[in-house]
Amino acid sequence: MLPIDAAAHSSRWRRRHPVDKAVLGLGLTVLAISLPPWPGAALVLLTALAVLLGPAGVPGRRLWRAYRVPLGFCATGALTLLVQVGGPGGFVSLAADGPARAGELLLRTSAASLGVLLFAFTTPMSDLLPRLVRAGVPAAVVDVALVTYRMSFLLLDSVRRVREAQAARLGHGSRAAEWRSLAGLGATAFVRAFDRAARLQAGLAGRGYDGTLRVLVPQARPSVRFTAASAALLAAVAALTFALRSFVPDSF
Amino acid sequence: MHIAEGFLPPAHAIAWGVASAPFVVHGARSLTREVREHPESTLLLGASGAFMFVLSALKLPSVTGSCSHPTGTGLGAILFRPPVMAVLGTITLLFQALLLAHGGLTTLGANVFSMAIVGPWAGYGAYRLLRRYDAPLMAAVFTGAFVADLSTYCVTSVQLALAFPDPSSGFLGALGKFGSIFAVTQIPLAVSEGLLTVLVMRLLVQSSKGELTRLGVLLSGRKERTGAGAGTGTEAVAR
Repeated sequence: MLPIDAAAHSSRWRRRHPVDKAVLGLGLTVLAISLPPWPGAALVLLTALAVLLGPAGVPGRRLWRAYRVPLGFCATGALTLLVQVGGPGGFVSLAADGPARAGELLLRTSAASLGVLLFAFTTPMSDLLPRLVRAGVPAAVVDVALVTYRMSFLLLDSVRRVREAQAARLGHGSRAAEWRSLAGLGATAFVRAFDRAARLQAGLAGRGYDGTLRVLVPQARPSVRFTAASAALLAAVAALTFALRSFVPDSF
Repeated sequence: MHIAEGFLPPAHAIAWGVASAPFVVHGARSLTREVREHPESTLLLGASGAFMFVLSALKLPSVTGSCSHPTGTGLGAILFRPPVMAVLGTITLLFQALLLAHGGLTTLGANVFSMAIVGPWAGYGAYRLLRRYDAPLMAAVFTGAFVADLSTYCVTSVQLALAFPDPSSGFLGALGKFGSIFAVTQIPLAVSEGLLTVLVMRLLVQSSKGELTRLGVLLSGRKERTGAGAGTGTEAVAR
């Protein structure tokens, strides 16, 4: 199991309905990209961090390990805004408002990422996917997604073992060997995926498979109180943003 | 390269979502029809999705010495065809956003458009074109994977340039800026992905002829020039 999903399964909010957590986590993400980055995204970032480390109980180290990935992409992407092409300064020169634009983008993306992480760290995929049918996603697509999800872990485990075996046989000793090993890894993943699908098919056929995968979903109801509190928090962040905008400069 | 969460302004995020929707809906309808007619396809398609997810997690040694990962869009399109790839790609991108914090939900539409729609269609188009003119299978596979990878990054450059036009030279300047950054890193990576895809396909032709025939990549009954060197000729022809 992947670290974020493993954390979601042991989350304090594991038993909450996904809608509750979507309103809060994805609501924060929507606010992060909709509000003015300064001070809106900064407030969203602080709020998401406080909820993640506080009520949601996500361990700080786990959060950092997951968060540094999008943070790296955000920082790399923001760097491009520091320069401009053409103009009086030459073919490539520093953009006058580059640092402000890059800072705003960094704030917006880092805050938005935390909102999604709040949802991902508290909602296991196995709770979310079966409920997508009620949201209008065709049952066949959800079934394929469920099989994909469950088979991904098995395949990732297989790939890890094959990689270890290749390393033990000096399969990564040279660049040519590395390419050979990588190609073998890709082909093995394909063969194993189809082999597993065939065996699953045979097993399910023996149990009267009619094309529908029935899975147990933990019973949970959306909490009106939790959703109302989330909506109030989101409204407070939005109101505080507009209140603060009259006191702080437009950008930094 | 996925566009990170929150990177695009709301209007752009919504617009790319709207642009992707018809392709994903069409793919979902094809998939639903396929599953209704052949219930066992659910497992095969799920396995294909898992394969795509795992493929995108493989580390690819790049010419610059760093590591990247294959997009898998070229191989996916050749194996499973572009309409199905729109759905499988969307599922894979959703999993990457929620399980790996890679990409995002607000940028899902933009990422789907580049990686699950344009990449597969461009790669598959190049592959089919070469096959129509009787090019060796492996040359067509290499070109398909190369074009799919590169077109994905070209579209990503356009998406970023539209969202962040250059203060001095506007959209074209930004396109040059993002495009040149990607060109330095992505052309070698596209070549690498093309080579990897050829190596994977060579192994698959040897070991999984049945599955490839079932997927329609190979049709039995005709000798085929694979272009993969001596000893790997197969009684098959790509569709």
